Amino acid sequence: MRKQFFAAAALAMGTALAGMSAAAAGDTLNFGCFSYADTLDPAVLTNSSWCLTRYGIGECLFRFNENMEAEPYLCDSYEVSEDHLTWTFHIREGVRFSNGNAVTPSAVVASIQRVYDETDPEKGGTGAATPRTYMEYESMTADDEAGTVTIVTSKPYADLTGRLAYPCFCIIDVSEEEAGKNIGEEGPSGTGPYVVEEFAADQYVLMSANEYYWNGDVPFENVQITFVDDDTTKAMALQNGDVDMVENITSASALAQIEAMPDQFTVSRASSARTGFAFLNMDGILGNETLRQAVQMALDHDTMCNITVGGMYIPGYSILPSALDYGYEELTNPYSYDPEAAKALLDEAGIVDTDGDGVRELDGENINLNYVTYTNRNLSDFAQAVQVYLSQIGIGVTIQTTDADTNWNLISAGEYDLGDQNWITVGTGDPTDFLGNWYSKSESNFGRYANEEYDAVYESLLAELDTDQRKEDIRQLQQILLDDGVAIVHGYYTSSMCSSKAIENASIGIADYYWLTSEITPAE
Amino acid sequence: MKQAGVFLKKNKSFAVFAALALAIVAVAVFAPWIAPYDPYEAVMTDAVQAPSAAHWFGTDKLGRDLFSRVIFGTRTSLAAALFLVAVISVFGTMAGVAAGYFGGMVDSVIMRISDMMIAFPGMVLAIAVAGIMGAGIVNGVIAIAIVSWTKYARLARSLVLKMKNRDFVAAARLTGSTTWHILWRYMLPNVIPTLIVTGATDIGTMILELAGLSFLGFGAQPPVPEWGLMLNEGRAYMQTAPWLMLFPGLAIVLVVVVFNLLGDSLRDMLDPRNE
Repeated sequence: MRKQFFAAAALAMGTALAGMSAAAAGDTLNFGCFSYADTLDPAVLTNSSWCLTRYGIGECLFRFNENMEAEPYLCDSYEVSEDHLTWTFHIREGVRFSNGNAVTPSAVVASIQRVYDETDPEKGGTGAATPRTYMEYESMTADDEAGTVTIVTSKPYADLTGRLAYPCFCIIDVSEEEAGKNIGEEGPSGTGPYVVEEFAADQYVLMSANEYYWNGDVPFENVQITFVDDDTTKAMALQNGDVDMVENITSASALAQIEAMPDQFTVSRASSARTGFAFLNMDGILGNETLRQAVQMALDHDTMCNITVGGMYIPGYSILPSALDYGYEELTNPYSYDPEAAKALLDEAGIVDTDGDGVRELDGENINLNYVTYTNRNLSDFAQAVQVYLSQIGIGVTIQTTDADTNWNLISAGEYDLGDQNWITVGTGDPTDFLGNWYSKSESNFGRYANEEYDAVYESLLAELDTDQRKEDIRQLQQILLDDGVAIVHGYYTSSMCSSKAIENASIGIADYYWLTSEITPAE
Repeated sequence: MKQAGVFLKKNKSFAVFAALALAIVAVAVFAPWIAPYDPYEAVMTDAVQAPSAAHWFGTDKLGRDLFSRVIFGTRTSLAAALFLVAVISVFGTMAGVAAGYFGGMVDSVIMRISDMMIAFPGMVLAIAVAGIMGAGIVNGVIAIAIVSWTKYARLARSLVLKMKNRDFVAAARLTGSTTWHILWRYMLPNVIPTLIVTGATDIGTMILELAGLSFLGFGAQPPVPEWGLMLNEGRAYMQTAPWLMLFPGLAIVLVVVVFNLLGDSLRDMLDPRNE
């Protein structure tokens, strides 16, 4: 049995390191990253489309800049009707897919259409991507003569450009699929600097330079992506020279070690638009307002962010990151860290420990919160710290650390009291979709939260086209969520990209959709 | 007393390892008196401190005293391993004796189930079982028990098969002994010594497997002080704070070595060839 265990361990390590060859010798870039999807078909999983833009395979009509503003990319100009329903995009001329085919308006429409068809059960689609969340349209037409794509949306969108910059809408050549290519397994032909040569799910991706790339020179002839899920392994692979760059080492100590060698490694860090937070399930015991308030007051987020996770998160109280321009400074936090006040609050409400076991009771039963978390971006570390803080005010917590899928299933099914997530809050350049997670009429109301005032403001946000008023609505929504204590906000995650001195310009941006760009070059 | 002295003198290695094993058990029993801190007491601001006079083994990522956690970890690991060995040896032996003695259908059913268990790699099956039932030390014990009882069953069965057609059993049957009496009086006593040796050697293995399961996240869950879990928690700090892995690792090595050598010396002692 022991032998089997060690054999399994050795096998696991072997798999993790498989494919790692010696680092870049000028023409090859080696990249170590987490495997987020086992297919490259953008319609199958949202994560797959993210992989396409992250690996430099696919690009969208628009692209986010470092301020998370969408800028024209494969489209070079656009017009919108006054009612914000008819959008006309002019497609950049001279752009080719990596197989040499021209990127025509028809090809763009076919590419976007495919994501909708492949995810529409009525048309036999089985994909799990969710394009309708980002754009619902009446019609989409191509005018190859004029070089334009016209989209008529089902409802007015304040800004469609950010939505079309979302990786789900990355433009690929769908005519290849008609010719029999398996896009998921072989990788689609996009317009990015690199083209897939070989893809082995959860192991590696081999790519070569796209000879038809439209936006300048492609610096590397070959790119090898090796999937490494474990943080420590990632850090050691970089230190050992097995890879030239790695994304998101989330262990603060491993990252600090690499940062301590500035002559050997470059570390790019960006305050991302990600919030790490735990949903509070209102259908459970946390529906009790006093208990919720006490929970919020018992947590010392500064210590958790700065010490427990070693500065990987920036502390903050709103569900939207403080770095975004949505009025963070104007918000008031009613629940700053004060464990004594939390205890007093519980005592006053009669939520006390009557049997002397150190845990308070509510309705005659010990309070034991079911906390579901997973080991992604320090979330499980936060869970353990929260467990400690809550035990100090007499609230029991049982942690369930699962894999990402199980965690998500438990949260979707409402089988939790506290459920950890780390989400991009402005995936389409705007937090409207994200704030929909607390809209009581939304399918994604995972916290089972209902507040009429919140619903009213959210509905006005959905219909609002004026930028300033939208910001004001968003500020109000944040304050309502803050007052109701609907989530434990762990903080705002700092993304990172670490690279060796063999290459230059490897960096991470706020958008988190672009990792392998043509800006990354061999060191001179 | 004198007899005990002679016995221990004659079996020196057994005496030494039994003493060491008892010492480990004592650490588990008297953990609250040995550990300087509460193993659950976290001082968040004192996270990941190097070993010092105040914290002999340093502190972990939540600022808990690692020495206290390693000491209390003895309780978790030892209690779970002893319970596990007790359960699988009793159940496995019963199943094996029944299969061997009754033969036929009973034998076929028990042994085919056992074959099925053996056909899978044990740890993988344990992970699957723990995964389905949910992670936790109790479920971890159950998972390992489900895949580990077969060894005892096969052993007991083969010993019973060797004996059941011997004359003294036939004589017992002839003189009207009940089946129950034969099993209890003749079969069991003859299989027990071998199974005790196997059980003693298994304690170390079980500690290792439980730690392995916890290391992979399917056994003990935070904040339980368990060595495998502590190893996994320290993994992220392997290069910057190696003591987080070193001390729980040493504890596992020490305890496993002692129990394995105790098992070996017990085997030497009970082996009739050494008489």
